[in-house]
Amino acid sequence: MNIDERWKKVFWVLGSLLAAGLVAFLVVFFLRFEAGKTFIDEFFNGNTFRKSMPYVLRGLSLTVRLAVVSEVFILAVGLIIAMARISRLRVLRVLAVIYIDVIRGMPLLLQILIVYYGLAYLGFKLDPFVAGVAALTICYAAYEAEIFRAGIESIHKGQMEAARSLGMGYLQAMRHVVLPQAIRNVIPPLSNEFIALLKDTALLSVIALAEVTRRATEMMGKYYNVTPLVCAAICYLIITLPLMRLVQYLTKRLSAGE
Amino acid sequence: MDGAAGDVRAPLMGGVAEKAEGALRERGMDKEYMVEVIDLHKKFGFHEVLKGVNLRVKPSEVLVIVGPSGSGKSTLLRCINGLEHATSGHIYIEGVDITDHRVNINAVRQKVGIVFQSFNLFPHLTALRNVILAPVKVRKMDAAEAEEKALQLLERVGLRDKAHAYPAHLSGGQQQRVAIARSLAMDPDLMLFDEVTSALDPELVKEVLDVMKDLARSGMTMLVVTHEMGFAREVGDRLIFMDEGEIVEEGVPVEIFTNPRSPRARDFFSKILSHL
Ligand SMILES: Nc1ncnc2c1ncn2[C@@H]1O[C@H](COP(=O)(O)OP(=O)(O)OP(=O)(O)O)[C@@H](O)[C@H]1O
Ligand SMILES: [Mg+2]
Repeated sequence: MNIDERWKKVFWVLGSLLAAGLVAFLVVFFLRFEAGKTFIDEFFNGNTFRKSMPYVLRGLSLTVRLAVVSEVFILAVGLIIAMARISRLRVLRVLAVIYIDVIRGMPLLLQILIVYYGLAYLGFKLDPFVAGVAALTICYAAYEAEIFRAGIESIHKGQMEAARSLGMGYLQAMRHVVLPQAIRNVIPPLSNEFIALLKDTALLSVIALAEVTRRATEMMGKYYNVTPLVCAAICYLIITLPLMRLVQYLTKRLSAGE
Repeated sequence: MDGAAGDVRAPLMGGVAEKAEGALRERGMDKEYMVEVIDLHKKFGFHEVLKGVNLRVKPSEVLVIVGPSGSGKSTLLRCINGLEHATSGHIYIEGVDITDHRVNINAVRQKVGIVFQSFNLFPHLTALRNVILAPVKVRKMDAAEAEEKALQLLERVGLRDKAHAYPAHLSGGQQQRVAIARSLAMDPDLMLFDEVTSALDPELVKEVLDVMKDLARSGMTMLVVTHEMGFAREVGDRLIFMDEGEIVEEGVPVEIFTNPRSPRARDFFSKILSHL
Protein backbone atom coordinates (compact mmCIF):
# COMPACT_ATOMS: atom_id res chain seq x y z
CA MET A 1 0.00 0.00 0.00
CA ASN A 2 1.54 3.32 -1.00
CA ILE A 3 1.18 6.74 0.60
CA ASP A 4 -1.61 7.86 -1.73
CA GLU A 5 -3.80 4.92 -0.84
CA ARG A 6 -3.25 5.38 2.88
CA TRP A 7 -4.40 9.02 2.60
CA LYS A 8 -7.40 7.92 0.61
CA LYS A 9 -8.36 5.64 3.48
CA VAL A 10 -7.96 8.40 6.04
CA PHE A 11 -10.20 10.72 4.02
CA TRP A 12 -12.71 7.99 3.56
CA VAL A 13 -12.99 7.37 7.31
CA LEU A 14 -13.22 11.08 8.14
CA GLY A 15 -15.82 11.56 5.40
CA SER A 16 -17.93 8.70 6.73
CA LEU A 17 -17.86 10.09 10.28
CA LEU A 18 -18.90 13.49 9.01
CA ALA A 19 -21.75 12.04 6.98
CA ALA A 20 -22.99 10.00 9.94
CA GLY A 21 -22.99 13.11 12.14
CA LEU A 22 -24.95 15.03 9.54
CA VAL A 23 -27.57 12.32 9.22
CA ALA A 24 -27.99 12.14 13.01
CA PHE A 25 -28.45 15.90 13.13
CA LEU A 26 -31.06 15.88 10.37
CA VAL A 27 -33.03 13.05 11.97
CA VAL A 28 -33.18 14.92 15.25
CA PHE A 29 -34.07 18.15 13.47
CA PHE A 30 -36.94 16.68 11.42
CA LEU A 31 -38.47 14.63 14.19
CA ARG A 32 -38.17 17.15 17.01
CA PHE A 33 -39.08 20.49 15.42
CA GLU A 34 -42.18 21.81 13.71
CA ALA A 35 -40.38 22.97 10.53
CA GLY A 36 -38.94 19.51 10.13
CA LYS A 37 -42.32 17.89 10.40
CA THR A 38 -43.75 20.17 7.74
CA PHE A 39 -40.91 19.29 5.45
CA ILE A 40 -41.52 15.57 5.78
CA ASP A 41 -45.22 16.04 5.28
CA GLU A 42 -44.66 18.02 2.10
CA PHE A 43 -41.96 15.89 0.51
CA PHE A 44 -42.53 12.42 1.88
CA ASN A 45 -46.24 12.25 2.46
CA GLY A 46 -47.03 8.54 2.58
CA ASN A 47 -50.62 8.91 1.49
CA THR A 48 -49.86 11.07 -1.51
CA PHE A 49 -46.98 8.84 -2.40
CA ARG A 50 -49.16 5.75 -2.55
CA LYS A 51 -51.77 7.53 -4.64
CA SER A 52 -49.46 9.24 -7.13
CA MET A 53 -46.51 6.87 -7.54
CA PRO A 54 -48.28 4.34 -9.81
CA TYR A 55 -49.53 7.13 -12.07
CA VAL A 56 -46.12 8.79 -12.32
CA LEU A 57 -44.37 5.47 -12.79
CA ARG A 58 -46.55 4.74 -15.81
CA GLY A 59 -44.98 7.79 -17.48
CA LEU A 60 -41.60 6.13 -17.30
CA SER A 61 -42.25 3.98 -20.35
CA LEU A 62 -42.96 7.11 -22.41
CA THR A 63 -39.86 8.79 -21.02
CA VAL A 64 -37.73 5.83 -22.00
CA ARG A 65 -39.37 5.50 -25.41
CA LEU A 66 -38.78 9.19 -26.13
CA ALA A 67 -35.13 8.86 -25.20
CA VAL A 68 -34.50 5.63 -27.10
CA VAL A 69 -36.32 6.61 -30.28
CA SER A 70 -34.60 10.01 -30.27
CA GLU A 71 -31.21 8.43 -29.66
CA VAL A 72 -31.53 6.32 -32.82
CA PHE A 73 -32.13 9.42 -34.92
CA ILE A 74 -29.53 11.42 -33.02
CA LEU A 75 -26.81 8.87 -33.74
CA ALA A 76 -27.63 8.83 -37.45
CA VAL A 77 -27.97 12.59 -37.84
CA GLY A 78 -25.01 13.28 -35.55
CA LEU A 79 -22.75 11.02 -37.60
CA ILE A 80 -23.84 12.66 -40.84
CA ILE A 81 -23.17 16.13 -39.42
CA ALA A 82 -19.78 14.96 -38.14
CA MET A 83 -18.89 13.70 -41.61
CA ALA A 84 -19.91 17.05 -43.07
CA ARG A 85 -17.85 18.81 -40.41
CA ILE A 86 -14.66 17.01 -41.49
CA SER A 87 -15.48 16.93 -45.19
CA ARG A 88 -13.05 18.21 -47.77
CA LEU A 89 -15.84 20.38 -49.16
CA ARG A 90 -15.75 23.81 -47.58
CA VAL A 91 -19.49 24.39 -48.02
CA LEU A 92 -20.35 21.30 -46.04
CA ARG A 93 -17.87 22.19 -43.31
CA VAL A 94 -19.23 25.71 -42.98
CA LEU A 95 -22.84 24.52 -42.90
CA ALA A 96 -22.01 21.95 -40.24
CA VAL A 97 -20.22 24.50 -38.07
CA ILE A 98 -23.14 26.92 -38.34
CA TYR A 99 -25.61 24.21 -37.41
CA ILE A 100 -23.57 22.98 -34.46
CA ASP A 101 -22.93 26.45 -33.07
CA VAL A 102 -26.45 27.80 -33.51
CA ILE A 103 -28.09 24.78 -31.95
CA ARG A 104 -25.67 24.60 -29.06
CA GLY A 105 -26.12 28.30 -28.42
CA MET A 106 -29.86 27.96 -27.81
CA PRO A 107 -31.86 26.55 -24.89
CA LEU A 108 -33.35 23.14 -25.61
CA LEU A 109 -36.65 24.30 -24.16
CA LEU A 110 -36.83 27.02 -26.77
CA GLN A 111 -36.10 24.54 -29.54
CA ILE A 112 -38.91 22.32 -28.33
CA LEU A 113 -41.35 25.24 -28.33
CA ILE A 114 -40.21 26.33 -31.77
CA VAL A 115 -40.64 22.89 -33.29
CA TYR A 116 -44.03 22.27 -31.73
CA TYR A 117 -45.72 25.68 -31.76
CA GLY A 118 -43.72 27.12 -34.63
CA LEU A 119 -44.77 24.37 -36.99
CA ALA A 120 -48.33 24.54 -35.65
CA TYR A 121 -48.50 28.20 -36.64
CA LEU A 122 -47.28 27.24 -40.09
CA GLY A 123 -50.16 24.80 -40.31
CA PHE A 124 -48.30 21.56 -39.58
CA LYS A 125 -49.92 20.08 -36.54
CA LEU A 126 -47.32 17.64 -35.32
CA ASP A 127 -48.10 14.82 -32.98
CA PRO A 128 -46.41 15.81 -29.67
CA PHE A 129 -44.37 12.59 -29.67
CA VAL A 130 -43.05 13.30 -33.17
CA ALA A 131 -42.37 16.94 -32.29
CA GLY A 132 -40.59 15.87 -29.11
CA VAL A 133 -38.39 13.37 -30.90
CA ALA A 134 -37.66 15.90 -33.64
CA ALA A 135 -36.66 18.62 -31.17
CA LEU A 136 -34.43 16.31 -29.14
CA THR A 137 -32.83 15.01 -32.33
CA ILE A 138 -32.14 18.48 -33.67
CA CYS A 139 -30.53 19.52 -30.41
CA TYR A 140 -28.59 16.44 -29.39
CA ALA A 141 -27.33 15.70 -32.91
CA ALA A 142 -25.29 18.89 -32.67
CA TYR A 143 -23.60 17.74 -29.47
CA GLU A 144 -23.08 14.18 -30.60
CA ALA A 145 -21.68 15.35 -33.94
CA GLU A 146 -18.84 16.95 -32.02
CA ILE A 147 -18.26 13.74 -30.11
CA PHE A 148 -18.16 11.73 -33.34
CA ARG A 149 -15.79 14.25 -34.87
CA ALA A 150 -13.41 14.05 -31.95
CA GLY A 151 -13.60 10.26 -32.08
CA ILE A 152 -12.81 10.15 -35.79
CA GLU A 153 -10.00 12.66 -35.45
CA SER A 154 -8.46 10.63 -32.65
CA ILE A 155 -7.74 7.83 -35.13
CA HIS A 156 -4.29 8.30 -36.61
CA LYS A 157 -4.45 9.51 -40.20
CA GLY A 158 -2.16 6.66 -41.22
CA GLN A 159 -5.20 4.39 -40.89
CA MET A 160 -7.17 6.30 -43.48
CA GLU A 161 -4.10 6.46 -45.73
CA ALA A 162 -3.41 2.75 -45.45
CA ALA A 163 -7.02 2.00 -46.35
CA ARG A 164 -7.06 4.43 -49.25
CA SER A 165 -3.75 3.12 -50.55
CA LEU A 166 -5.39 -0.29 -50.90
CA GLY A 167 -7.91 1.21 -53.28
CA MET A 168 -10.76 1.76 -50.84
CA GLY A 169 -12.93 4.81 -51.38
CA TYR A 170 -13.24 7.45 -48.67
CA LEU A 171 -16.55 6.17 -47.37
CA GLN A 172 -15.42 2.55 -47.52
CA ALA A 173 -12.32 3.42 -45.52
CA MET A 174 -14.45 5.32 -42.99
CA ARG A 175 -16.89 2.47 -42.65
CA HIS A 176 -14.47 -0.46 -42.42
CA VAL A 177 -11.36 1.08 -40.89
CA VAL A 178 -11.85 4.42 -39.14
CA LEU A 179 -15.33 4.19 -37.61
CA PRO A 180 -14.92 0.73 -36.04
CA GLN A 181 -11.91 2.11 -34.17
CA ALA A 182 -13.53 5.44 -33.36
CA ILE A 183 -16.54 3.69 -31.79
CA ARG A 184 -14.43 2.60 -28.80
CA ASN A 185 -13.53 6.18 -28.09
CA VAL A 186 -17.01 7.58 -28.42
CA ILE A 187 -18.98 5.01 -26.44
CA PRO A 188 -18.33 6.61 -23.01
CA PRO A 189 -19.16 10.20 -24.00
CA LEU A 190 -22.16 9.06 -26.06
CA SER A 191 -23.49 7.11 -23.09
CA ASN A 192 -23.23 10.21 -20.95
CA GLU A 193 -25.14 12.12 -23.60
CA PHE A 194 -27.82 9.45 -23.52
CA ILE A 195 -28.23 9.90 -19.78
CA ALA A 196 -28.51 13.65 -20.25
CA LEU A 197 -31.05 13.06 -23.01
CA LEU A 198 -33.12 10.84 -20.80
CA LYS A 199 -33.31 13.58 -18.19
CA ASP A 200 -34.01 16.26 -20.75
CA THR A 201 -37.15 14.47 -21.92
CA ALA A 202 -38.64 16.14 -18.84
CA LEU A 203 -38.73 19.35 -20.85
CA LEU A 204 -41.23 17.74 -23.20
CA SER A 205 -43.82 18.10 -20.45
CA VAL A 206 -44.40 21.58 -21.88
CA ILE A 207 -45.90 20.07 -25.02
CA ALA A 208 -48.31 17.89 -23.06
CA LEU A 209 -46.48 14.61 -23.33
CA ALA A 210 -47.55 12.51 -20.36
CA GLU A 211 -44.09 11.46 -19.38
CA VAL A 212 -42.80 11.27 -15.83
CA THR A 213 -42.39 14.96 -15.06
CA ARG A 214 -45.69 15.93 -16.65
CA ARG A 215 -47.55 13.34 -14.63
CA ALA A 216 -45.78 14.39 -11.47
CA THR A 217 -46.77 18.04 -11.87
CA GLU A 218 -50.36 16.97 -12.58
CA MET A 219 -50.44 15.03 -9.32
CA MET A 220 -48.83 17.92 -7.49
CA GLY A 221 -51.70 20.13 -8.62
CA LYS A 222 -54.23 17.55 -7.61
CA TYR A 223 -52.97 16.86 -4.06
CA TYR A 224 -51.40 20.27 -3.33
CA ASN A 225 -48.29 18.41 -2.24
CA VAL A 226 -44.69 18.12 -3.45
CA THR A 227 -44.41 14.38 -2.86
CA PRO A 228 -45.24 13.49 -6.54
CA LEU A 229 -42.08 15.34 -7.55
CA VAL A 230 -40.13 13.03 -5.29
CA CYS A 231 -41.89 10.15 -7.03
CA ALA A 232 -40.61 11.54 -10.34
CA ALA A 233 -37.10 11.86 -8.95
CA ILE A 234 -37.20 8.22 -7.91
CA CYS A 235 -38.42 7.21 -11.39
CA TYR A 236 -35.46 8.94 -13.07
CA LEU A 237 -32.96 7.58 -10.58
CA ILE A 238 -34.16 4.01 -11.13
CA ILE A 239 -32.89 4.37 -14.69
CA THR A 240 -30.00 6.80 -14.42
CA LEU A 241 -28.13 5.40 -11.43
CA PRO A 242 -27.52 1.95 -12.97
CA LEU A 243 -26.74 3.61 -16.32
CA MET A 244 -24.10 5.82 -14.76
CA ARG A 245 -22.49 2.78 -13.15
CA LEU A 246 -22.57 1.00 -16.49
CA VAL A 247 -20.89 3.90 -18.25
CA GLN A 248 -18.19 3.99 -15.61
CA TYR A 249 -17.62 0.27 -16.03
CA LEU A 250 -17.55 0.52 -19.83
CA THR A 251 -15.13 3.42 -19.74
CA LYS A 252 -12.79 1.46 -17.52
CA ARG A 253 -13.05 -1.65 -19.67
CA LEU A 254 -12.44 0.24 -22.91
CA SER A 255 -9.43 2.15 -21.65
CA ALA A 256 -8.00 -1.00 -20.05
CA GLY A 257 -8.27 -2.82 -23.37
CA GLU A 258 -5.69 -0.56 -24.92
CA MET B 1 4.62 10.24 -74.08
CA ASP B 2 4.35 8.49 -77.38
CA GLY B 3 1.31 7.63 -79.45
CA ALA B 4 0.45 4.50 -77.53
CA ALA B 5 -0.10 6.47 -74.36
CA GLY B 6 -3.67 7.29 -75.24
CA ASP B 7 -4.55 3.63 -75.56
CA VAL B 8 -2.67 2.53 -72.52
CA ARG B 9 -4.33 5.20 -70.47
CA ALA B 10 -7.75 3.68 -71.03
CA PRO B 11 -7.49 0.60 -68.80
CA LEU B 12 -7.53 2.29 -65.44
CA MET B 13 -10.26 4.70 -66.42
CA GLY B 14 -12.75 1.87 -66.25
CA GLY B 15 -15.25 0.83 -68.88
CA VAL B 16 -13.35 -0.82 -71.67
CA ALA B 17 -10.49 -1.44 -69.29
CA GLU B 18 -9.89 -5.16 -69.50
CA LYS B 19 -10.55 -5.34 -73.22
CA ALA B 20 -8.10 -2.58 -74.08
CA GLU B 21 -5.44 -4.13 -71.94
CA GLY B 22 -5.98 -7.52 -73.52
CA ALA B 23 -5.76 -6.05 -77.01
CA LEU B 24 -2.47 -4.42 -76.16
CA ARG B 25 -1.00 -7.64 -74.90
CA GLU B 26 -2.13 -9.50 -77.98
CA ARG B 27 -0.31 -7.05 -80.18
CA GLY B 28 2.73 -7.82 -78.10
CA MET B 29 3.08 -4.23 -76.92
CA ASP B 30 4.49 -3.74 -73.51
CA LYS B 31 4.16 -0.68 -71.41
CA GLU B 32 7.68 0.53 -71.56
CA TYR B 33 7.71 2.16 -68.14
CA MET B 34 5.92 1.15 -65.00
CA VAL B 35 6.35 4.62 -63.56
CA GLU B 36 7.19 7.80 -65.33
CA VAL B 37 7.50 11.01 -63.34
CA ILE B 38 7.88 14.19 -65.34
CA ASP B 39 8.92 17.51 -63.84
CA LEU B 40 7.09 16.87 -60.58
CA HIS B 41 6.73 19.81 -58.22
CA LYS B 42 5.10 19.66 -54.84
CA LYS B 43 4.55 22.58 -52.52
CA PHE B 44 3.13 22.64 -49.01
CA GLY B 45 2.04 26.26 -48.80
CA PHE B 46 5.13 28.22 -49.81
CA HIS B 47 7.47 25.37 -48.95
CA GLU B 48 8.57 23.60 -52.12
CA VAL B 49 9.37 20.03 -51.18
CA LEU B 50 9.81 18.56 -54.67
CA LYS B 51 11.51 20.82 -57.18
CA GLY B 52 11.12 19.18 -60.55
CA VAL B 53 11.66 15.45 -60.17
CA ASN B 54 12.08 13.30 -63.29
CA LEU B 55 12.07 9.55 -62.96
CA ARG B 56 11.50 6.47 -65.06
CA VAL B 57 11.14 2.98 -63.70
CA LYS B 58 10.90 -0.09 -65.92
CA PRO B 59 8.83 -3.13 -65.04
CA SER B 60 10.62 -5.45 -62.60
CA GLU B 61 13.15 -2.80 -61.74
CA VAL B 62 14.12 -2.19 -58.12
CA LEU B 63 14.86 1.47 -57.57
CA VAL B 64 16.40 2.51 -54.27
CA ILE B 65 15.88 6.08 -53.10
CA VAL B 66 18.18 7.57 -50.49
CA GLY B 67 18.73 11.03 -49.14
CA PRO B 68 18.86 13.05 -45.95
CA SER B 69 15.81 13.66 -43.78
CA GLY B 70 13.43 16.18 -45.30
CA SER B 71 14.74 15.73 -48.83
CA GLY B 72 11.29 14.76 -50.09
CA LYS B 73 11.58 10.97 -50.41
CA SER B 74 8.33 10.21 -48.64
CA THR B 75 6.56 12.99 -50.46
CA LEU B 76 7.69 11.53 -53.78
CA LEU B 77 6.29 8.10 -52.93
CA ARG B 78 3.09 9.60 -51.58
CA CYS B 79 2.61 11.53 -54.82
CA ILE B 80 3.12 8.34 -56.81
CA ASN B 81 0.10 6.68 -55.26
CA GLY B 82 -1.94 9.83 -55.00
CA LEU B 83 -1.83 10.32 -51.23
CA GLU B 84 -0.51 13.79 -52.06
CA HIS B 85 -1.57 15.86 -55.05
CA ALA B 86 1.22 17.03 -57.31
CA THR B 87 1.40 20.82 -57.53
CA SER B 88 2.55 20.52 -61.13
CA GLY B 89 4.06 17.94 -63.45
CA HIS B 90 2.88 14.51 -64.43
CA ILE B 91 3.02 11.02 -62.97
CA TYR B 92 2.26 8.11 -65.26
CA ILE B 93 1.57 4.71 -63.75
CA GLU B 94 1.49 2.08 -66.50
CA GLY B 95 0.78 4.90 -68.91
CA VAL B 96 -2.06 6.45 -66.90
CA ASP B 97 -1.51 10.06 -65.86
CA ILE B 98 -2.66 10.03 -62.23
CA THR B 99 -2.38 13.81 -61.99
CA ASP B 100 -5.34 13.95 -64.36
CA HIS B 101 -8.30 14.46 -62.03
CA ARG B 102 -10.57 12.39 -64.27
CA VAL B 103 -8.56 9.28 -63.49
CA ASN B 104 -10.17 6.98 -60.95
CA ILE B 105 -7.47 7.10 -58.29
CA ASN B 106 -8.94 4.14 -56.41
CA ALA B 107 -8.42 1.96 -59.48
CA VAL B 108 -4.83 3.16 -59.81
CA ARG B 109 -4.12 2.51 -56.15
CA GLN B 110 -5.12 -1.11 -56.49
CA LYS B 111 -2.14 -1.43 -58.79
CA VAL B 112 0.23 0.47 -56.51
CA GLY B 113 0.91 -0.93 -53.07
CA ILE B 114 2.60 1.15 -50.39
CA VAL B 115 4.17 0.04 -47.13
CA PHE B 116 4.79 2.64 -44.44
CA GLN B 117 7.43 3.06 -41.80
CA SER B 118 4.75 2.86 -39.10
CA PHE B 119 3.07 -0.31 -40.47
CA ASN B 120 -0.44 1.14 -40.15
CA LEU B 121 -2.08 -2.23 -39.74
CA PHE B 122 -5.75 -2.04 -38.83
CA PRO B 123 -5.60 -2.74 -35.07
CA HIS B 124 -9.21 -3.89 -34.79
CA LEU B 125 -8.70 -6.73 -37.28
CA THR B 126 -6.64 -9.91 -37.12
CA ALA B 127 -3.69 -10.35 -39.47
CA LEU B 128 -5.86 -12.42 -41.78
CA ARG B 129 -8.72 -9.90 -41.79
CA ASN B 130 -6.21 -7.12 -42.46
CA VAL B 131 -5.15 -8.95 -45.59
CA ILE B 132 -8.59 -9.87 -46.90
CA LEU B 133 -10.36 -6.58 -46.17
CA ALA B 134 -9.47 -4.79 -49.40
CA PRO B 135 -9.87 -7.76 -51.77
CA VAL B 136 -13.34 -8.42 -50.35
CA LYS B 137 -14.56 -4.84 -50.09
CA VAL B 138 -12.86 -3.32 -53.10
CA ARG B 139 -12.50 -6.21 -55.51
CA LYS B 140 -15.70 -7.88 -54.27
CA MET B 141 -13.74 -11.08 -54.11
CA ASP B 142 -15.51 -14.11 -52.72
CA ALA B 143 -14.68 -14.36 -48.98
CA ALA B 144 -13.49 -17.97 -49.08
CA GLU B 145 -11.30 -17.32 -52.09
CA ALA B 146 -9.86 -14.19 -50.49
CA GLU B 147 -9.11 -16.08 -47.31
CA GLU B 148 -7.31 -18.84 -49.13
CA LYS B 149 -5.23 -16.33 -51.01
CA ALA B 150 -4.53 -14.37 -47.83
CA LEU B 151 -3.28 -17.50 -46.10
CA GLN B 152 -0.94 -18.14 -49.02
CA LEU B 153 0.38 -14.61 -48.75
CA LEU B 154 0.87 -14.93 -45.01
CA GLU B 155 2.71 -18.16 -45.70
CA ARG B 156 4.90 -16.31 -48.13
CA VAL B 157 5.88 -13.74 -45.50
CA GLY B 158 6.32 -16.53 -42.96
CA LEU B 159 3.32 -15.73 -40.79
CA ARG B 160 0.70 -18.32 -41.57
CA ASP B 161 0.61 -19.35 -37.92
CA LYS B 162 -0.14 -15.77 -36.88
CA ALA B 163 -3.18 -15.44 -39.14
CA HIS B 164 -5.57 -15.01 -36.24
CA ALA B 165 -3.41 -12.76 -34.11
CA TYR B 166 -4.25 -9.10 -33.65
CA PRO B 167 -1.56 -6.54 -34.58
CA ALA B 168 -1.03 -5.61 -30.94
CA HIS B 169 0.19 -9.14 -30.32
CA LEU B 170 2.72 -9.13 -33.15
CA SER B 171 6.27 -7.83 -33.10
CA GLY B 172 7.18 -4.88 -35.28
CA GLY B 173 8.81 -7.13 -37.84
CA GLN B 174 5.78 -9.37 -37.96
CA GLN B 175 3.43 -6.41 -38.29
CA GLN B 176 5.46 -5.06 -41.16
CA ARG B 177 5.38 -8.42 -42.94
CA VAL B 178 1.60 -8.54 -42.54
CA ALA B 179 1.48 -5.04 -44.00
CA ILE B 180 3.43 -6.26 -47.01
CA ALA B 181 1.08 -9.23 -47.41
CA ARG B 182 -1.87 -6.87 -47.16
CA SER B 183 -0.54 -4.79 -50.04
CA LEU B 184 0.24 -7.86 -52.11
CA ALA B 185 -3.32 -9.11 -51.68
CA MET B 186 -4.45 -6.53 -54.23
CA ASP B 187 -2.05 -7.97 -56.84
CA PRO B 188 -0.18 -4.71 -57.33
CA ASP B 189 2.14 -4.19 -60.29
CA LEU B 190 4.23 -1.75 -58.30
CA MET B 191 5.24 -1.65 -54.66
CA LEU B 192 6.42 1.43 -52.77
CA PHE B 193 8.38 1.01 -49.54
CA ASP B 194 8.94 4.03 -47.31
CA GLU B 195 11.68 3.30 -44.75
CA VAL B 196 9.85 0.16 -43.77
CA THR B 197 12.61 -1.04 -41.43
CA SER B 198 13.40 2.26 -39.73
CA ALA B 199 10.98 1.74 -36.86
CA LEU B 200 12.16 -1.80 -36.18
CA ASP B 201 14.55 -3.15 -33.58
CA PRO B 202 17.80 -4.13 -35.32
CA GLU B 203 17.23 -7.86 -34.90
CA LEU B 204 13.87 -7.62 -36.71
CA VAL B 205 15.16 -5.78 -39.77
CA LYS B 206 16.44 -8.84 -41.57
CA GLU B 207 13.16 -10.74 -41.63
CA VAL B 208 11.48 -7.82 -43.38
CA LEU B 209 14.33 -7.26 -45.82
CA ASP B 210 14.28 -10.97 -46.67
CA VAL B 211 10.63 -10.71 -47.66
CA MET B 212 11.46 -7.72 -49.83
CA LYS B 213 14.37 -9.50 -51.47
CA ASP B 214 12.13 -12.44 -52.24
CA LEU B 215 9.62 -10.05 -53.75
CA ALA B 216 12.28 -8.38 -55.88
CA ARG B 217 13.45 -11.77 -57.14
CA SER B 218 9.90 -12.62 -58.17
CA GLY B 219 9.98 -9.69 -60.56
CA MET B 220 8.02 -7.06 -58.65
CA THR B 221 8.68 -3.47 -59.61
CA MET B 222 9.77 -1.71 -56.44
CA LEU B 223 10.58 1.81 -55.28
CA VAL B 224 12.38 1.51 -51.99
CA VAL B 225 13.26 4.41 -49.70
CA THR B 226 15.78 3.02 -47.26
CA HIS B 227 18.95 3.58 -45.29
CA GLU B 228 19.89 -0.09 -45.63
CA MET B 229 22.86 0.15 -47.94
CA GLY B 230 23.42 -3.62 -47.84
CA PHE B 231 19.96 -4.11 -49.26
CA ALA B 232 20.51 -1.37 -51.84
CA ARG B 233 23.72 -2.99 -53.02
CA GLU B 234 22.33 -6.51 -53.16
CA VAL B 235 18.86 -5.92 -54.59
CA GLY B 236 18.82 -2.44 -56.09
CA ASP B 237 19.11 -2.21 -59.86
CA ARG B 238 19.48 1.51 -59.64
CA LEU B 239 19.82 4.11 -56.92
CA ILE B 240 18.86 7.75 -56.81
CA PHE B 241 20.18 10.19 -54.27
CA MET B 242 17.80 13.01 -53.40
CA ASP B 243 18.54 16.22 -51.60
CA GLU B 244 16.31 19.26 -51.05
CA GLY B 245 13.62 18.05 -53.40
CA GLU B 246 15.87 17.18 -56.31
CA ILE B 247 17.48 14.07 -57.68
CA VAL B 248 21.15 14.81 -57.31
CA GLU B 249 22.65 11.53 -58.47
CA GLU B 250 21.44 8.46 -60.20
CA GLY B 251 23.16 5.20 -61.10
CA VAL B 252 24.21 1.73 -60.05
CA PRO B 253 24.08 1.57 -56.22
CA VAL B 254 27.63 0.40 -55.58
CA GLU B 255 29.10 3.02 -57.86
CA ILE B 256 27.20 5.80 -56.19
CA PHE B 257 28.13 4.97 -52.68
CA THR B 258 31.70 4.06 -53.37
CA ASN B 259 32.26 6.98 -55.66
CA PRO B 260 29.71 9.78 -55.24
CA ARG B 261 30.36 12.65 -57.60
CA SER B 262 28.49 15.51 -55.95
CA PRO B 263 29.70 16.95 -52.65
CA ARG B 264 26.23 16.55 -51.14
CA ALA B 265 26.12 12.84 -51.89
CA ARG B 266 29.70 12.39 -50.74
CA ASP B 267 28.86 14.06 -47.45
CA PHE B 268 25.72 11.93 -46.99
CA PHE B 269 27.31 8.58 -47.79
CA SER B 270 30.39 9.24 -45.69
CA LYS B 271 28.03 9.80 -42.75
CA ILE B 272 25.77 6.81 -43.14
CA LEU B 273 28.40 4.34 -44.30
CA SER B 274 30.59 5.15 -41.33
CA HIS B 275 27.62 4.16 -39.19
CA LEU B 276 27.59 0.62 -40.52
N1 LIG C 1 1.73 17.40 -45.00
C1 LIG C 1 2.77 18.24 -44.97
N2 LIG C 1 2.59 19.55 -44.73
C2 LIG C 1 3.63 20.40 -44.68
N3 LIG C 1 4.90 20.06 -44.88
C3 LIG C 1 5.16 18.76 -45.13
C4 LIG C 1 4.12 17.79 -45.18
N4 LIG C 1 4.68 16.60 -45.45
C5 LIG C 1 5.99 16.80 -45.54
N5 LIG C 1 6.30 18.10 -45.36
C6 LIG C 1 7.64 18.69 -45.43
O1 LIG C 1 8.21 18.29 -46.63
C7 LIG C 1 9.60 18.07 -46.46
C8 LIG C 1 9.95 16.72 -47.02
O2 LIG C 1 9.32 15.74 -46.25
P1 LIG C 1 9.46 14.20 -46.57
O3 LIG C 1 8.70 13.50 -45.51
O4 LIG C 1 9.09 13.95 -47.97
O5 LIG C 1 11.02 13.97 -46.38
P2 LIG C 1 11.79 12.61 -46.30
O6 LIG C 1 12.86 12.71 -47.31
O7 LIG C 1 10.86 11.48 -46.40
O8 LIG C 1 12.42 12.70 -44.87
P3 LIG C 1 12.61 11.53 -43.78
O9 LIG C 1 13.88 10.83 -44.12
O10 LIG C 1 12.74 12.29 -42.49
O11 LIG C 1 11.42 10.66 -43.83
C9 LIG C 1 9.89 18.20 -44.98
O12 LIG C 1 10.50 19.47 -44.79
C10 LIG C 1 8.55 18.18 -44.34
O13 LIG C 1 8.52 19.00 -43.22
MG1 LIG D 1 10.15 10.01 -45.05
